[in-house]
Amino acid sequence: MTTVLDPLTDQTAPPVLRWRADTLLAGVDGPGAVPLAEHVRRHGPARPDAATTLQSDLERVGLLGRGGAAFPVATKLAALARGRDVRVVVNGSEGEPASWKDRVLMRHVPHLVVDGALVAAAALRTSHVTMAVRDRAAADALRAAVAERDDAAAVRVVDTSVAFVGGEARSLVNVLSGEAPVPGGRRVLPTDAGVDGRPTFLSNVETFAQLGLLSRRGADGHLATGTATEPGTTLVTVHGDVPHRGVLEVPHGMRVAELAGGEDRTVLLGGYHGSWGRAGDLVADRRALRAAGRTWGAGVVAVLPASTCPLGEVARVVRWLAQESAGQCGPCVFGLASLADDAERLAAGRPVDLARLSRRVVRGRGACAHPDGAVGFLASALTAFADDVAVHVHGGCGRPVLGVLPVPTVPLAGAPR
Amino acid sequence: MSGRLLVDWTRCDGHGLCAALAPDHVQLDEWGFPVVDPDLPEREARRLAQACPVLALRVDPTRSGTAPAR
Repeated sequence: MTTVLDPLTDQTAPPVLRWRADTLLAGVDGPGAVPLAEHVRRHGPARPDAATTLQSDLERVGLLGRGGAAFPVATKLAALARGRDVRVVVNGSEGEPASWKDRVLMRHVPHLVVDGALVAAAALRTSHVTMAVRDRAAADALRAAVAERDDAAAVRVVDTSVAFVGGEARSLVNVLSGEAPVPGGRRVLPTDAGVDGRPTFLSNVETFAQLGLLSRRGADGHLATGTATEPGTTLVTVHGDVPHRGVLEVPHGMRVAELAGGEDRTVLLGGYHGSWGRAGDLVADRRALRAAGRTWGAGVVAVLPASTCPLGEVARVVRWLAQESAGQCGPCVFGLASLADDAERLAAGRPVDLARLSRRVVRGRGACAHPDGAVGFLASALTAFADDVAVHVHGGCGRPVLGVLPVPTVPLAGAPR
Repeated sequence: MSGRLLVDWTRCDGHGLCAALAPDHVQLDEWGFPVVDPDLPEREARRLAQACPVLALRVDPTRSGTAPAR
């Protein structure tokens, strides 16, 4: 375990650490970005056949998308047309306030992200590469990296100040096409008709960083760490009462209990579209977690300290999720607002119709995954914190809400200013 | 998980015609938006898709017995 970065310059940024893994974050030592020469020294020169072997490399390592949906990247790449109409989009919006990993990658190892975008573009025989970024420091680091290289002149870095739903792949496609930042009502895949109606290879920043690693060290390097079902390493943002807070690089197969500080800890996995439950013998492996009914999401782990009211923490997140609705689907607009009302009443120890609340916890009622994710978050919390629910229906637990789970826009009730 | 009848939630305004036409297969939630029985018969699904005043309903082409008419 090494701490490689303390948030000296940006007080809101979490510490960055390596834990039994030193691949994605190799060379990160201090607040700046790894320069090109150091990047090449760490990962080796780009393999001349990287683009032609990308498809087979991806199939060998079974890489899964790192944005949350964990879709097999080889399947996505194989589904795409080839040629100069094709668009490559790096989704760097990182709309989830509990996740910092993509900003860490863009700020500190931008060359790995650029490598990944370039090898994907070469494999697809296109030169259209767009990086959609909200964080200023991340955009600056990417632009500096692009300027430092002689192979990245065609890469565009675009500032996209859009809300959470804008982080959803299809709404980002709409933003980049000059349309409203909301997902369409029909599930059209970006691989078929993405930016400007063109076939689009769109994925998360960490996915592209993994493609960058593949382009330099090949599949064998990737297969040297991690599990049989999911080789390699990943980044995770860890919050709350845990042994090590911050953005951590860990090998796949790392036990969630280690990250959480014990098997009996109640842990949020997968962020605000994820779920609460016991750490138990779960491991950081997207396929294994899915089989266990959980999700790794965008790599967020949180454990609440005993000093905060868990239902109050949950209610703040649900309110934020309700506010983040794009406002175009009725069940999401009304349903999430009602769930937030119920969660806040429960947190405050006021009477709640729990039967009605459970009727409201219904999935599959929106154009995107947002309402399903929000519903899953709340439903799992009500189960995981059932003892607290039992106390709260009789008037609350008396603990304050400390705001351990980061929520940008929901004020803490009674917080000192 | 999703049924034979696909709801475009960005279009649905909660008119409720689907629930009125097929009360055995479609209920309305507390805000008036449809909750569709996933095992809705295909004939019924087609009838509801044609009746929706804002064209928010369509039959899932991957779950229909005949080739979809586009």
